[in-house]
Amino acid sequence: MSAFVLRRLLLVVPTVFMISVLTFVLSNLTPGDPAFAVASRRHGRPASHAEVVAVRHELGLDRAALPRYLHWAGGALRGDLGKSYSTQAPVRQELFRRVPHTLQLALPAMLLAMLLAIPAGVLAAMRRNRPVDQVMRVLSMAGACMPSFWLALLLIILFSVRLHLLPVAGRGGLDHLVLPVVTLAMAPAAILTRFTRSAMLEALGSSYVLTARAKGLNERRVVAKHALRNAVVPVVTSIGVNFGILLAGATVIETIFVWPGVGSLLVGAIQQRDYPTIEAFVLYAGVLFALLNLIVDVSYAFIDPRITAGSSV
Amino acid sequence: MRSVRLPHRARSASVALAVVLSLVSAACSDKSTTATKATATTAAAANPNAELKVGFTEDQYVLNGPEASLAEYPLNANVIETLATMSPDYEVVPALAESWTLVPPNTWRFKLRQGVKFHDGTPLDAAAVKAGLFDRLAKMDGGSSLKAGPASAVVVDPSTIDFTPTVPNLRVPEQMVHPQYGVIAPGSDIGKKPVGTGPFRFVEYVPKERIVVDRNPDYWGPRAKVAKITFRFYPDASTRRLALESGEIDAAYEIPRDDVAGLKSKGFTIKNSSVGAYDALLVNQHGKQGFDILSDASVRQAVALGIDRKKLVTNVLDGLATTDQTIVAPNSLKPYTSTITGFPFDQAKAKSMLDAAGWVPGSDGIRAKGGKKLHLVLVSGFPAAEILRPIPAFVQSQLKEIGIDVAITERPDSDSYGAVMDAGDGDLFLEQGNQNDANPGFLPILLFYTGPGSGDPFSYQKLFGPGGKFDETLAPALTEANADTVRKIVANAMHQFVDVDVAAIPLAGVFRIYGLRKGVEGFVPHPAFLHVRWDTVSVSS
Repeated sequence: MSAFVLRRLLLVVPTVFMISVLTFVLSNLTPGDPAFAVASRRHGRPASHAEVVAVRHELGLDRAALPRYLHWAGGALRGDLGKSYSTQAPVRQELFRRVPHTLQLALPAMLLAMLLAIPAGVLAAMRRNRPVDQVMRVLSMAGACMPSFWLALLLIILFSVRLHLLPVAGRGGLDHLVLPVVTLAMAPAAILTRFTRSAMLEALGSSYVLTARAKGLNERRVVAKHALRNAVVPVVTSIGVNFGILLAGATVIETIFVWPGVGSLLVGAIQQRDYPTIEAFVLYAGVLFALLNLIVDVSYAFIDPRITAGSSV
Repeated sequence: MRSVRLPHRARSASVALAVVLSLVSAACSDKSTTATKATATTAAAANPNAELKVGFTEDQYVLNGPEASLAEYPLNANVIETLATMSPDYEVVPALAESWTLVPPNTWRFKLRQGVKFHDGTPLDAAAVKAGLFDRLAKMDGGSSLKAGPASAVVVDPSTIDFTPTVPNLRVPEQMVHPQYGVIAPGSDIGKKPVGTGPFRFVEYVPKERIVVDRNPDYWGPRAKVAKITFRFYPDASTRRLALESGEIDAAYEIPRDDVAGLKSKGFTIKNSSVGAYDALLVNQHGKQGFDILSDASVRQAVALGIDRKKLVTNVLDGLATTDQTIVAPNSLKPYTSTITGFPFDQAKAKSMLDAAGWVPGSDGIRAKGGKKLHLVLVSGFPAAEILRPIPAFVQSQLKEIGIDVAITERPDSDSYGAVMDAGDGDLFLEQGNQNDANPGFLPILLFYTGPGSGDPFSYQKLFGPGGKFDETLAPALTEANADTVRKIVANAMHQFVDVDVAAIPLAGVFRIYGLRKGVEGFVPHPAFLHVRWDTVSVSS
């Protein structure tokens, strides 16, 4: 197990390196000149050629791509992620300031999604093709297909504008968490419901469940102890992926609810061609997904003793 | 498989459907509970201890370096003041400076207002202005647009300061009104805790969330009518509007046009400024092959004649604009605004001009000449394509009626739009521009002038600069001291630019739109949102 974990941790480095190179290349190929963007923003109007040249020099954009990347990568290895082109503030400071804000939404959203989805998926599987199953399938399809921004605005109109029960946007007390968390939880809940249902159906149709029933075990025990335990492996995989997506920041939700997390940081950085911030975000997301995948893989061994960590890698 | 009855009752499909339908109908119903509550506050007296909550767009403060701008720009939180300010009519009005004179050839002497203190209690004097403004500007890129150098500012006496830009600049007072040129208390850090002289003092800043200011009890002018203002940032326009509707904020900047009627019907007040921005097509008359059709003046004129601006303003822009045909704010050119006549809507004349130029209608209605179709590419994206919709589609349909085929290219932001412009891959470039200072010649000189003193040309000048008579007409504005004469020069130059060279086809003059709940009084809408003042605003509880 330790060797497996160590091997996977070491793999994070080349993975993140490749992602950062790809992002750097793609960012630099994106139409638009960050120097023009920065200079125009500073002056509040289209910047003149001289102003753009000056800013390009200030930001080091007049250097070739490779030295620029190496300079950034060298700094990143020392923990220096550079300065934001738009705010001139250290990127690391801004990124780390926002990660807890994203966690504030991601953790409760994931918990809510699991609390809704797993029982719903189990129930749907237990009542296969009955009305409750059909309702669950329609709701989960709707949840998966519904645009999150649309749901967000709908919930704001109902609970904030019409009923005055909850605030529209921004951070604050627990009431400020409700709408963004519920909105964020919908898509993963919908996906997890379907995953859970499929996995449970497969498990409920297996021979060991038939044996358990034949032995006279009550149904609750059959479902909870035998079927669910075997169905949970693919569900855990899906939880890991969805949690990673939430932790990487829900860009649309954070923008609508004015939640200063990493997602809204990325949106602003892309709009402003803020390369250092984009690169830092990619680094953060790359490491995050790599670690989450590792945790999920290791968890298999605990959930299902038949799986040895590393055996399927 | 045998189904199993569980202890919990399952929900029926009808219950689930009913839940979904009631959610949607409750959200979509047109109740006016907010208006009812809002109306009830109309008669209440103004509360001098009230807190005003204002919704702004995105937080774009710079927090570090010489360009740090917290509380200053783009959201002017009325903490820091300039030597002069700009009225809604684009007049330059004394602020921290009572008067100023030009000491030829290039020195501006400012006489400072007496009895003014910074929020930390230190007095405003010439030494403070030197340190807190001009020396700060000297550290900016190129010394900022004012062209300040390390030795530009000289203290004459405690209430008088001389400023000599590093290059001749006779428009200093008109430019000085920009909030970026505010005076901060010497030694204060504008990126962390801005200390100014304004009617409000800095209290708190939470990045991307809010900036809070409170009333300055020692302000040199009339005291603010509210005790505190919280400016909240809402990058999404829909959220900002909903925050106003829910009562989370009392006022909002930049209400989208589409939301105006809805807010009015719910009892909110909509305040429009005078024209502060323009929607215009910039014409690529120096295009490379494939984008050179508009090098023909008669085609340019036909395009200008073929667009019904009244219809655009009434039907597309919901009456929230004017048919002004200038890309300089009309009020900034007074009393010479009428020099620029623009083009009437005249399809018959447009068609006959195209006929005369050899563009013959084909079987599909699109004109052609020598086997080449009259096909134009319209690029939309400054500051963003979504702000300009559906103007491109309107222009496309209008020009089709006179036999011009228009393909629309949208760019999501100004940077990608700029990239297309740099490549010259368009015939018409649709922009919304605005003017933030009182110098009417600033943008024409910066963007389109290619004469002596213009520096290295960039994309605007290369594609749209007409040169010739335009440059000749505009050049004296660079060295003219008298502001009224500059207005006249610029008006004549814009007449050449718009009416003769057809280097730009202005479509509409755009208002700035602000939304207020009932009970918010005294707000004066400014055509440049950088200059909005909140000290005159009162709030009833």
